[in-house]
Amino acid sequence: MKEGTSSGGGSDPRQPSTAKQYAPPKLSAQDLPIDYAGFLAVVFGVLGVMLRYKVCSWIAIIFCAQSLVNMKNFENDLKQLSMAFM
Amino acid sequence: MATASLIRPRRAALVLFLLALSFSLSLAAHFEGFDSDDLHSAAADAASADDDEEGLEVELPPPPPISLSTSSPSPPVTTTASSPNPNSDPNPTLTPPNPTPALDLWDEDEFEGIPVPEAVSVDESAAPAEAAPSDPAADAAAEAAPAPPRRPAELLRAYTIEIACVSFLICFLLNYFTGKRQNEAIALAWATRFATRDSIFDKNFSLLGTGDGKDTPLLMKEGQDVFKFYASGRRYCQGMLATMEMRARHDLLSKLVELVFPRKDTITFEVVMNEEAMDHVVLAVARKKAAKTMQKEERDLQKFASVLTSAPAGRRWVADELAVVAESKEVAGDMITEAVLDQVLGDKAFEKFGKWFISLHFSDQLAGSYKKVLSFKFVLPDASNMAEMTRLVALVPYYIDLVGRYKLSNHARSKTEATRTKAAQEAFREQQGLRQEALQRKKAEKKKLMEEAEAKLSAEALRKKEEKERARQMKKSMPKVKMLRS
Repeated sequence: MKEGTSSGGGSDPRQPSTAKQYAPPKLSAQDLPIDYAGFLAVVFGVLGVMLRYKVCSWIAIIFCAQSLVNMKNFENDLKQLSMAFM
Repeated sequence: MATASLIRPRRAALVLFLLALSFSLSLAAHFEGFDSDDLHSAAADAASADDDEEGLEVELPPPPPISLSTSSPSPPVTTTASSPNPNSDPNPTLTPPNPTPALDLWDEDEFEGIPVPEAVSVDESAAPAEAAPSDPAADAAAEAAPAPPRRPAELLRAYTIEIACVSFLICFLLNYFTGKRQNEAIALAWATRFATRDSIFDKNFSLLGTGDGKDTPLLMKEGQDVFKFYASGRRYCQGMLATMEMRARHDLLSKLVELVFPRKDTITFEVVMNEEAMDHVVLAVARKKAAKTMQKEERDLQKFASVLTSAPAGRRWVADELAVVAESKEVAGDMITEAVLDQVLGDKAFEKFGKWFISLHFSDQLAGSYKKVLSFKFVLPDASNMAEMTRLVALVPYYIDLVGRYKLSNHARSKTEATRTKAAQEAFREQQGLRQEALQRKKAEKKKLMEEAEAKLSAEALRKKEEKERARQMKKSMPKVKMLRS
């Protein structure tokens, strides 16, 4: 009724009856963009541990901070944090 | 752990001895034996190498277990140190060089409980250095032990990396908060301008924001640089999702990268049209270079559309910088109306608003989960200049209505229908080919499996047969042998 009038005329384009809730698109883990910073953090962390270069460990920490700052979901990154700090 | 024990002279021996007694009561005996052995070798190493650093590196390979046994090694250290003299010999030679008060303070209180983790942290020296202020002091003692007096200048030189990294991290953190606030300010400015009461989206959509309640937040934050705004409940379309992608202001490293490769804040509106409300329309408008890449990269444009080389005769057309990619001239002419040319895409308007425009892309054959989508991509202005993109935002509802009402002429429709059925057939054929391939692969795999199983079975059967035969032969031969023997 209301919708009928609104859809018929050009005055009010709103149609509350057709409103749909937002459904976030389902993302699989593989579709997510690669976390380069986290990857680099792990690489440098491993290098730092293996070669005992302080610089590597520091760079790992910095990249770790970057990946933390850029992360979008809060679940899987604590792992990386601990990895990078090794 | 040897270094830790070396640092400490006999002064704390009494206290430690008491501790050792209490520990040895609670701990298994074999732990002590093992550790003391380990310690002997380590102590020998340390004694042979005068340099503390080298001694450290030498003794690293046998990593001490860090959990329950962390406390156990310390008591044996003291007991062995008090009973055999060679262990305590290097101590006095090493203690004079580091008479820092910080070190003394550190050992006296904390050494007895946790010597092993300390030793571990010394070798890493990276992570804990910024965590606790007391760690660098111990670290310094371990590193600068051979050089007796340590002046601040030397200290500075020894820790340039640490100082640089820690200060960078501090900058990073400060930048994180300021950048985050900047991004949020821009997103909020956009939302207050276009999505609050009596604004353009409020007048066009009945549902704003991602929540269902009345006072749910309009914007959804998806990371520090991505904000989303959702609206629904309008004729001709199912919903609209606006995604703001900001520059990574919160991330100092990305900011540095952006100095070289500049980026802009963008906003993308994606309108999902109703199935019945959109006729065959494939159209894209962008700057010439971008239009060409779009034509190459987007599948629907690739399949159905081409770059229009000339404007429809006798009409005002889009600004020179822009290129139109469309299925036919008719569609392009009908979609790019006089009003749009006046407002945004015409020569005069584009001079003023062109800097905020990136692209339009309408398609009824999109490859994603929704087929009929209008997408608009604009540059986001600063928080203070948000009003400048009002005209561009107004394009969104305008085009929803325009596309929703649009009907192709019969002539054009027959053409587009033909191409679509062709494309659909092609896609179907492709899919069928894929399916068949998959089926064949499956069949082949099954066959292989069956054959393998058969081979296995037959091999087993063969073996069984052979065994049986052998047994029979044995049986046959056995009595003969017996007979012979007897």
